[in-house]
This record gives sequence, C-alpha cells and structure tokens, in this order.
Amino acid sequence: MTELYATGLFLFVLFFLLGSSVWVGLALIGVAWVGMELFTSRPAGDAMITTIWTGASSWTLTALPLFIWMGEILYRTRLSEDMFRGLSPWMSRLPGGLLHTNIAGCTLFAAVSGSSAATLTTVGKMSIPELRQRGYPEYMIIGTLAGAATLGLMIPPSLTLIVYGVTINESITKLFMAGVLPGLVLAGLFMTYIIAWHYVRKEERPAQAQRMSLSEMLRESRFLIPVILLVMIVIGSMYFGWATATEAAAVGVVGALILAASQGSLNWSSFSSSLMGATRTSAMIALILMGASFLSLSMGFTGLPRALASYIDGLDLSPLVLIAALTIFYIILGMFLDGISSVVLTMAIVEPMIRQAGIDVIWFGIFIVVVVEMAQVTPPIGFNLFVLQGMTRHEISYIAKTAIPMVGLMVLMVIILVVWPELATWLPETVRQSRN
Amino acid sequence: MIKDWPLILWLPLWFWLFVAPAGLALTLYGFRTRLMPALNVIWAGLDRVYLASGILASAFMVSILLIIIVQMIARWTGFTFEGSTEFAGYAMAATSFFALAHAFGRGAHIRVSIFLNLNHFTKKWLDGFAMLVAAITATYFARFAVKTNFMSELLNDRTQGQDQIPQFIVSFLSLFGQSPADWSSSLATGSAGGWIYTPVWVPQISMSVGTILLAICLWDHFIRLVVTGHSSIKRETVE
Repeated sequence: MTELYATGLFLFVLFFLLGSSVWVGLALIGVAWVGMELFTSRPAGDAMITTIWTGASSWTLTALPLFIWMGEILYRTRLSEDMFRGLSPWMSRLPGGLLHTNIAGCTLFAAVSGSSAATLTTVGKMSIPELRQRGYPEYMIIGTLAGAATLGLMIPPSLTLIVYGVTINESITKLFMAGVLPGLVLAGLFMTYIIAWHYVRKEERPAQAQRMSLSEMLRESRFLIPVILLVMIVIGSMYFGWATATEAAAVGVVGALILAASQGSLNWSSFSSSLMGATRTSAMIALILMGASFLSLSMGFTGLPRALASYIDGLDLSPLVLIAALTIFYIILGMFLDGISSVVLTMAIVEPMIRQAGIDVIWFGIFIVVVVEMAQVTPPIGFNLFVLQGMTRHEISYIAKTAIPMVGLMVLMVIILVVWPELATWLPETVRQSRN
Repeated sequence: MIKDWPLILWLPLWFWLFVAPAGLALTLYGFRTRLMPALNVIWAGLDRVYLASGILASAFMVSILLIIIVQMIARWTGFTFEGSTEFAGYAMAATSFFALAHAFGRGAHIRVSIFLNLNHFTKKWLDGFAMLVAAITATYFARFAVKTNFMSELLNDRTQGQDQIPQFIVSFLSLFGQSPADWSSSLATGSAGGWIYTPVWVPQISMSVGTILLAICLWDHFIRLVVTGHSSIKRETVE
C-alpha cells in the first residue's frame, strides 16, 4: 500500500512539474530526485551525476550535434530557392502538379536535416508564395506541407531516432536505415493524396504551366544535384559500413560547408549563426537526455517498469492490442509534449514492456516516430502548426483542419507498419556491420 | 541527506544555495527603483558571460568535428588515434554543458506551455514558479556536479579508455584547486613532462562550470522576473 502511495506521489510530481511549465530537462531531474528519495536510500545526488556524466560524455551522442549542424548550414544556404526551381519542372508533369514540390522538397530536405521545423520553414519559405501565385487552393498547400514536413523526423538523419537509439542503447545506423523505406512510403501516400485530389476536385485545378525541355529541366536543377549527392554519400557510407553514424555526420558537415561555399552563401555571419544555432539546439536536447537518464535510473528503483511489464504480460495481450493501446497513449501524450520528450520520458517504462511482448525494438523506433510525427500536426501542441501559423498568419484551427487528411494517412502508415513490419526491419538487416 | 550539506560560515550549505538567492530576489525587489541602473549593468555583464560560455561550447563542437575527421584520416592512412572516441565524448560533454546557460537565455530549452499561455495571471505567476523550481533543481545539479568533480580528483579516477593527455595540462589545471604556496612544487612535478591516462576530473570541469553557470543563469532570470515583472527570455521564433 505504501508502495502504491509512493508511486502515485511520484507520478503526480512528474505531471505537476511538467504541467507547471518547468523546462523539460530540469523537470525530469526534479522528478527523478523525488523518486530516489522515496524509493531508495542510495545518495541521490551522487548517483545522479555518475549517470548523467556517463551519458553526456558518450561517443554515441556525438552524432547529434554534428547532424544538427549539417542541417543548420544547409538551412542558411540558398537551398530553399534552388529546391523549388529545381523540383518544380519535374513535378509539374504529375497529376496534382506543383503541389508535389511540397512533398519532394520535404523528403529531400529531411534527408539532410533531422528536424521537422527546419524542414517546414526551408520548404515553405519558397513553396507557399509560389504555389499561391499559381492558384493552388490554400488548404492543399498548407495541409500537404504540414504533413510532409514531419518526414524530417523519419528520414535519416533524424534527431528523434538518435535520441531513441541513445536512450535504449541500439545502433543508430540501424535505426536510420529502418526509417528510409517507411519514410518513402509515407511520402508516397502523401503524393497519392495529391493525385486523388487532382482527379476528384477537377474544378480546383489551376491552369497548366508551360512545359520545359529536358535540357532546361536539368539546367534548372543543377543546384540540387550536389545536395542529392551529399545525401547519398551520408546515407550510403552508413549503409555500406564505411562509416559510423558520427563519422557520416562529420562527412555531412564538411560536405554541407563545401556546398555552401560553392554557392557563395558561406560567410562569417552564416557560419557562426549556424554554429551557435546548432550548439543551442544540441544543448537543449542534451539537457533533456540528462534528465531522462537520471529519471530512468530512478524509475528502476520505483519498480514501476517491471511491475507494468509483468502486468501487461499477465494480461496476455496480443502484440496487436498492445500496439493499438500504445498508439492511443502516445497520441494523447503528444498533445502536450514534443516528440523527443515523449520518447525519453516513456522509454524507461515502455522498453521492458515491448521487449517482454517480443516486439522488435528497431521496428518500434519507427512506429514511435510515426506516432510522434502525428503529434506535430495535431492541436493543442503541434509544433508544425505553430511554425505554419507564423509563416501564413492563418488561425491554428484552420491549419489543423487542413492537416486532418495527413493525420489520417499517418494512421494508415501505422497500420501498414503493423501489417508489413519488414518495411522497417528489412533494410537494417542488410546493413554491413561497421566497426561499432 | 542532511549530512550532505556541510556548514559554511555557521550556516548549512543549502541555505547559501537555495535560501540566499531567493532572499536576494526579494531584497532587490524592495529596492528596485533605486537599483535599476546598477542592475541593468550587471545583467548586461551576465549576458556577456553566458554568450562567452556559448561560444566556448561551439568551439568544442568544432573540436568534435576535427577529432572525428583526424580519426578517419588516421584510419585510412594506417595510423591509430588512441582514445579518439573518449576525446570526442569529452568534447560532446563540454559542448552540452557550456551551452546550457546560453541556450536558456535564448529560449532554446523547451517546456510545456499549455497552462502558461492561459492568461496574464498564469503567464506571470506560473512562469515565476517554474523559474524558481528550475533554479532550485539546477542548483542541486550544480552542487553535486562540483562534489563529484572534487571526488574524482581526490580518488584519482582515471579514464577507462586509451586516451592520454600531457602531464603539464593536468598540473596547470590543478593549480586552481591549490593554495599558491604549493604551486612551485606542483609545477616542478608537472614540468617533468610525459603523457598520462586522462584523470576523469579534467573533462568533468566542463560539467561543473556549465551547471554552475546554468544555476546562476536561472537565479538571474528569476530575479529579473521578480524585479521587472516580465520574462526576460529572448526567444528567436523560428530557428
């Protein structure tokens, strides 16, 4: 009974601190301290620092700042303009026309950046005004962009997947590879939606733009080719085992710097602002990870993860029911927390549960990313909605409404992942083993 | 728990860490009109300290990149770079810790703001409460980071990897923890030269300094909120 009382108090403090808007990383440290004091006589402070220091100085984590930096450098280049100019001639031939530049642009930028907000701003900066000018309906422009930007979290490099990998101690390379095919399938679903719109709402189609010859198209997209090459080198070097995730990130940073320099957009101010921006973002995530590592130590003493895992085991649920329950759980959690916080906060409890149920952890990583992606475009706290509000000056409720079909497609994606788990697990199994 | 807080100047350490800054906030609130010019100078100075620490952090981020590039080149050319993963890890820790305070001032750290944005009342009071809780937590964090740092030095903890650093760096850094009377003997042993396996306390300095700065930064922002009545975090909307 006292155990139950203590557990209740622990969970109350957790939600109280997060709810009273204490910064996530520090809130987790505070909760973990309460847990340590309640459940163990071990000196909390010393155990905290040992855990945090081991985590914060780990080699696996070094991929994080470098991938953030790579995205920051490319975000500050002319990539945004080049992307629209380079992609539009190719996309205009598809049914649905230039709306596809939203999807293709997000997919491409997602492959150099791990964050969905950066993907959204980079692609939206150019595509929103251009598409409006050509007469595409507003709800399609905004909706497809809001949905497609979430690909930034799924297609490698993905910050959420790095954080997931560090939290549960799994290979980041494998997780990255697992994200490739589901990311492309999701992009395909978004494109199918645009094509369907094209045939169903014939009256909304804008006038056809004139066509270019192949040589013109190649000339327009000449700036994109180096970016695509960079993506292939970064992902390829991990796939073939030539480089670890961190080394691939270092190659990515150097490549991004060379690309920016050759475009003429690399100067001291863009270099230093990319560096400082990346340092801040990486410190933000590092603080959350520090809090999370202490919290998971403390959670271990509460016995909550073990009790819950054996409870779930006792229920004899099929993995299918468990996944359905977890989907609903993460959607609710995602209404209040951002993706990275939801992952680190829950993994200490959920990891034993899914291992007990025999669910593949690599597959689960992709599942969790799709579900937290959904949270990015659902109110009240959908980060992509805020970014889009800043860019378009529409009401949040309007933007959320345009994104509803995309949320539906993401739910479909979860079902696809459950029916064909190989989509996520096949590619990582073929990865050549690198040295670590 | 009690024995962890030694007496300093007849008062337990927790008084100096938690009660004194809160008392300072109230005192400054009382004299806010008269002290405003002086406070503005102090705040500008502190902002510069946070920025300097952020720049130091970014230098360590560049060093992660350099360490990894050197390691890759070494591998291709058949050399080995002993302890490169450990060095990259230390640089990673330094990047994170030194940037904590700077990231805070720029609103980079995230929070659940759903209740915060309800109305003006919560915007002010909940923010103040959150800032106070965060400041106490960060102070607690810093206090044990420093304690662990000293313990590592005392126990002479060494790295478990293959990384080595020159003896003179260790000797130089340890001067800060000694009385000037012992400096000459330390320097004599330090100048003997050679490389030693990295003592854990050396990279841990980044943790001590970074968390202390974060704690100062949070108390600082708490005091600014109390004195001026509004949050002083400058958020850069879309990065």
